Amino acid sequence: MLLTEREARKITEKLLGHVKADDAAVSVFSENYSNQRFAANHFTTCGARENATVSVAVWIDRKRGSASTNEIDDESLKAVVAQAEELARISPVDREYMPTLPQQNYKPVKAYSEATSTISLGARARAINDVIAACEKAKVVGAGFHQARGNAFASATKNGNFNYDRSSLVSLSTTARTPDGSSSGYFLRNHFDVGRLDVRRVANEAIRKALESRNARKLEPGIYPAILEPQAVADLLGGFAFGFDARSADEGRSPFSAPGGKTKVGEKIFDERINVYSDPWNADLPGSKATQSGLPAEKIHLVRNGVLENLVYSRFWAKQKGKEPTPGPVNNIMESSAPPTSIEEMIRATDRGLLLGRFWYIRGVDPRVALQTGLTRDGIWYIENGKIQYPVQNFRFNQSIIQLLAPGNVEMIGRSERVGSSEGQGGNSALLPALKVKEFHFTSQSEAV
Amino acid sequence: MTTSRRTFLKSAGIAAGAVALPSALPSWIRDIEAAEAAAAAGVDKNALADIAISIAKRLGVSYADIRINRYRNEAISTREQQVQNVSRSQSFGFGVRVLFKGTWGFASSRRVTPEDVRRVTAQAVEIARVNSVYQRKRIAMAPASKVTASWKSVFERDPFDVSIDDKIQFLLGLNQTAMKTEGVSFVNSSLSFVNEQKFLASTDGSRIEQYIIRTNPGLNVIAVNRSTGDFQSRSALAGPQGMGYEYMEKHDWNREAEQAGSDATQKLKAKPVTPGKYDLILDPSHLWLTIHESVGHPTELDRALWWEADFAGTSFLTPDKTGKLKFGSDIVSFVADRTQPRALATVGYDDEGVPAQSWHLVKKGIFVDWQTTRDLTAASPRKKSYGCCHADSWGSVSFPRMPNVSLEPAPANTTMEDLVKDVENGILIYGDGSFSIDQQRYNFQFGGQTFWEIKNGKVGAMLRDVAYQSRTTDFWNSCDGLGGKSTYELGGSFNDGKGEPTQSNAVSHGCPVARFRGVNVLNTSARR
Repeated sequence: MLLTEREARKITEKLLGHVKADDAAVSVFSENYSNQRFAANHFTTCGARENATVSVAVWIDRKRGSASTNEIDDESLKAVVAQAEELARISPVDREYMPTLPQQNYKPVKAYSEATSTISLGARARAINDVIAACEKAKVVGAGFHQARGNAFASATKNGNFNYDRSSLVSLSTTARTPDGSSSGYFLRNHFDVGRLDVRRVANEAIRKALESRNARKLEPGIYPAILEPQAVADLLGGFAFGFDARSADEGRSPFSAPGGKTKVGEKIFDERINVYSDPWNADLPGSKATQSGLPAEKIHLVRNGVLENLVYSRFWAKQKGKEPTPGPVNNIMESSAPPTSIEEMIRATDRGLLLGRFWYIRGVDPRVALQTGLTRDGIWYIENGKIQYPVQNFRFNQSIIQLLAPGNVEMIGRSERVGSSEGQGGNSALLPALKVKEFHFTSQSEAV
Repeated sequence: MTTSRRTFLKSAGIAAGAVALPSALPSWIRDIEAAEAAAAAGVDKNALADIAISIAKRLGVSYADIRINRYRNEAISTREQQVQNVSRSQSFGFGVRVLFKGTWGFASSRRVTPEDVRRVTAQAVEIARVNSVYQRKRIAMAPASKVTASWKSVFERDPFDVSIDDKIQFLLGLNQTAMKTEGVSFVNSSLSFVNEQKFLASTDGSRIEQYIIRTNPGLNVIAVNRSTGDFQSRSALAGPQGMGYEYMEKHDWNREAEQAGSDATQKLKAKPVTPGKYDLILDPSHLWLTIHESVGHPTELDRALWWEADFAGTSFLTPDKTGKLKFGSDIVSFVADRTQPRALATVGYDDEGVPAQSWHLVKKGIFVDWQTTRDLTAASPRKKSYGCCHADSWGSVSFPRMPNVSLEPAPANTTMEDLVKDVENGILIYGDGSFSIDQQRYNFQFGGQTFWEIKNGKVGAMLRDVAYQSRTTDFWNSCDGLGGKSTYELGGSFNDGKGEPTQSNAVSHGCPVARFRGVNVLNTSARR
């Protein structure tokens, strides 16, 4: 059971009531979580978990200590505060201490669905049975993951702030493989409302991709024009809006650092149609109403028309630099300021290139230019003269994100849709478009399917 | 059988005399005493287990287990001469796993009371029952012997008994040492400690208690050239261990910090590598990660059966290749081992009551066996569970996870110098860096921390922007030299992810220094 606002407030009041420290921030997080996996066309493992965790951070003479526990009886609440205070007393001064916030005014968001949080076991079993049945009918072997969660989070400070928020998430991914293991397709979607999760689409797209990936041919690695479906963009840029940290840029260790101790704020470093922003009230991708530091979230642009408009200042770093702390980001939205292009139009406009559905095992290689390596997976097709010609075997890539989105490399941008990165298992949601780019760097071949 | 505190202390090797001195007691004993006090108020693990097992049996399961676990974590992080965070957390709860008509059910809760055990056990069975209506292929569990045991990992000094102040001074001292090198701009360091207090009971009649300690130090040094906008980092070469605080006292961490500072600044001026084929000499501080990704994961049998197809992927290894595939050169043998002292995946028993074991995965270059659990036994060539079942929390379902997987050293006492002297054009690599591998574990790319040119048998200048790409069996078949026991070290990962939802597993990989011929090396600098 999720904690109600009243229950959560009572717990934060009890915690603050035990605090003897100069300042304190406390929180309580409760969750209902359940999941079901399937593989080789049968039900495999599953799980249900109910949990609640309280966290306490205190400052004594500017010295900080923190502790957390999932035991929330009165004695445990008292003990966790005492433990945080014990740690604070023996810690050195926290030079980055900022007094906790007084009461803030938060504008509500709608990011919670009771139906998602309390998902019906029977309905989920039937939905997965439908996915497996579709795989059997298409003579492919299905595997996948369905998860649903409801969260309630409350935070309070010694200086008088209180905030309570609920959110939910449901996601379904499906991988379909031909029985001989020579071809594979994948599709993933998520939403906060289980009623908006299109189970049939997830199954059908995974199966279609598997069937259309049969008899893949080998292509030489190299630089190719490429169309990235929204899933592939999510795999590369799933947390993009959260990577605009001002401090690391100011300290010279970010792709947004410039020579001479400066940053690239104000420079047009991306294609002029690209906008990256955070909007807590977006109907498809609601964010939380408070930032991580507790400030009320606002709509903020990080990139506007290709220009790096804002870097993100924490409360501490803003004070150091004489700036205002940034009220976000709380979600990740990339949109084109030009009319969107469909993937079909992108294919028609391609003389020679590759269509990419998913990336996998993406890891940073060179943080100076956000160079990433990884592989294509579960569907990649060769395009020539405006038509898909045939599927091809997978590649490893080494690609700078900065160069990917740079002026001159982005040719077309699609309509943004809600996706989650596949390595994040659908958890880190974003609104992202398909992209057609002039150059994508593939460095070797992979025979993996 | 009930495991009393007395029998647990006895089996854990604690002297009775220590019990008479409460202030000298290690914290884990105090926790047990606290737990016993709690048991008096209603939390009696054996009594709760009896409830879960009897309800599950009554509801018709073919197998059930209950894990009642407490996890304690401590984390300290610093940068330069300031402490960024000191925190302690703990999590307590239970999870019930049942097999009903060949279908799994699992439910868990933080509320550890008889009433909640009844409710959650029934919930686990209900999940399995609802799903069993649509089940196509029944999952089968191999039988296991009843076990009654207590087990404690090998450590000398419980890190939870060491003062926070000592730990902070240790980290700030490291930072100071690293910052002494001119040109070092930033240093981050951290310590994290994990204590797992695990209880397992099952329908086999088993009752098992385990107490596990793990230690994870971290150090990262950054050198920035503000005029050019360039920056380079260098992380510690020593990784996490299944040890106590003695790891911080016995390893030469000051030397680590000095070398990291020196290397970070030197990397700014190092020569960019020219792409091409090179012979590689790989230090154990680097090679452990290549073993983890290219040997550890493809020998997981659940992957080969496509159980992980949706996320982690499948494997280029298949059951029909067992005993046949030439995985590596004749000098290459890999051992899976959950008994190795100081290793992160070492336990007494796995999370379904199977004793820890040691076995070959690759012997003299031939792929010979798999990592297995009780629900994989039927599909495994040797029809045996090697005890690889693990859950990262009371709230997570247990499933197949990697044991420690290590490369055996050469019988002779071969040194790194012996291997280097036969290299005309090569690169010596220390430390783990960027890593990526495909979903069937064929194609991989690894970076590192420092790279050194080898010309005509001698190690020369530092190189930068190095990564190598290869194919698993090509790579291991190109191995023509291994160091002896004196070069063997344990590396490892504190948080290896697998499964949906992702669960964390701590795992070690031991290896000697090794030589590989003709490997493809890239220059990773996108500025060229």
